[in-house]
Amino acid sequence: MMCDFLKTCCADPMKLIGEWFVILPAVILLLAAAASVVMRNLIHAALLLTLSFIALGVVFIALGAEFVGFVQLLVYVGAVAMVIVFAILLTKPDQLTKSRNMLSGFAPAAGVAVAFASLAALLGFIFSSPLAKKPLPATASAPVAAIGEALMGDYVIALIVLGILLTAALVGAAVIAMEDKP
Amino acid sequence: MISSLERVPIDLLHWFLGLVGSFGVPAWILAIVSALIIIGTIIGVFLGLFALTSVMERKILARVQNRYGPNRAGPFGLFQPIADGIKMITKEDLVPRTADWIVHLLAPVVMMVPALMVLAIIPYGRDMVPVELDAGILYFFAVGAGTEVAVFMAGWGSNNKYSVLGAMRAIAQMISYELPLVISAIVTAMIAGSLSPSAIVAAQGGGGFVPQWFILTPWGFTAGLIFYICALAESNRSPFDLPEGESELVAGHLTEYSGFKYATFFMAEYVGMFAICGMFVTLFLGGWQAPLPFLDIVPSWCWFFGKVCFVAFTMIWVRATLPRLRIDHLLAFAWKFLLPMSFAAFLSAACWHYAGRGPLAWILSLAIVGIPYLILGNAFTNRFAVSRRTYLFSE
Repeated sequence: MMCDFLKTCCADPMKLIGEWFVILPAVILLLAAAASVVMRNLIHAALLLTLSFIALGVVFIALGAEFVGFVQLLVYVGAVAMVIVFAILLTKPDQLTKSRNMLSGFAPAAGVAVAFASLAALLGFIFSSPLAKKPLPATASAPVAAIGEALMGDYVIALIVLGILLTAALVGAAVIAMEDKP
Repeated sequence: MISSLERVPIDLLHWFLGLVGSFGVPAWILAIVSALIIIGTIIGVFLGLFALTSVMERKILARVQNRYGPNRAGPFGLFQPIADGIKMITKEDLVPRTADWIVHLLAPVVMMVPALMVLAIIPYGRDMVPVELDAGILYFFAVGAGTEVAVFMAGWGSNNKYSVLGAMRAIAQMISYELPLVISAIVTAMIAGSLSPSAIVAAQGGGGFVPQWFILTPWGFTAGLIFYICALAESNRSPFDLPEGESELVAGHLTEYSGFKYATFFMAEYVGMFAICGMFVTLFLGGWQAPLPFLDIVPSWCWFFGKVCFVAFTMIWVRATLPRLRIDHLLAFAWKFLLPMSFAAFLSAACWHYAGRGPLAWILSLAIVGIPYLILGNAFTNRFAVSRRTYLFSE
């Protein structure tokens, strides 16, 4: 058993290393996500969540989805994590310590139930979609150029609609933040 | 004519790998050795540049301010980095008692990682790009986003109000300036038709006597200037250094750092500055291309590092010349001037491409960039006209 394992290692070490590039960040991702849920210190929880975002990006890249991985890092680490951190900093410090009261009674059980229910719903949708029945492509890579062409070709309407939505959100935020003229 | 020194770094690497390979080392170990050599060389070169710049910056600042600068350690003060390094290592490493010591310890490390990682995709010369990525530009900005996390960790982990204030300022500034930075970089990707840095450099090659660099077009000049300003802001350099503003925030997120942790921050900041200078050179100044065809006798990597050093020099020059901005002016400048101007550059580049890149394209793209500049510039100077400052709470 051990001998076979070593033989495969020496025959194709690059492939083995490649697999570990997926497994290791995936383990870090799960550990960091779990730790960020149970952490009492909210800032530590937010930083661990950021670590799990990074690990998810690395998993994407290791699986050949470069574009998704980079966008994951750019959007989630660069923007979402910072928004979360700012939100925490803008709350009162005594609320940070009171949050441990949430960990008693039915709250944890309810949280776990909601998490599993939403996971089940998500998996149900994924497996019932027609995409799940398509055969897997031979090569597990998504070249950036192909993604760009798909976004500008088949999915251009969706892209434009999303762009308009985000612009509207940006304008709305600017209007809310605008100084009131006396 | 291409210089015989052109391929020296690559030939050296191949010669060494051949030497190692002749002992019957398996191919996969050779691949790892090759990668390690490339990583070591890049880190060595950039840390050497950092050491050189730390003394040159002080020298240039001194020259501008009409004084001598460091001149005691070695000839012309050239051994100053060594003296500084020894001083930094032997200093006491203070951790405040109330600090969150894990976050406090990890922050400089997290700061260093993106600064070094972004160096991987920059084309240093002809066929000399360490990692050839289709989405290289995207990688640069995606990895660079980690810096903000590090700054926040440093500010919050120190448990000091000035640190938190400095970190909040730094993050607000970095997020605001990242938008025009990315958009002005995307403009070049749009014209080159690729997100890969080597393809963008290749698109600026050829041409006749006049170099085909993107900075020599109306849209490229605008986008390049925006990129340069945002690069100053992203690397927290003067006149955008108010996260560190020593006179008001006693160095912001760096307040509670001493000894080698402080040196790590310093190092990461300078390496990050060189990385973004390298990106500026790659995107707008033709990367490793020589300005004139007959100047190809100088190796391409010399051109690249020469241009990078020149851009770094202009950054030092700016630092010596301009005063620090106020935080509200700084953010207003990013959102109300740079962002619309980067959209104008974007539109201008699109028109330049579709108008055939000829004289008509020049007029069109010049107009599309120039008119918003005049309108915005006018509005901006009126809005922030210098007036007597009124104090609300003191008289």
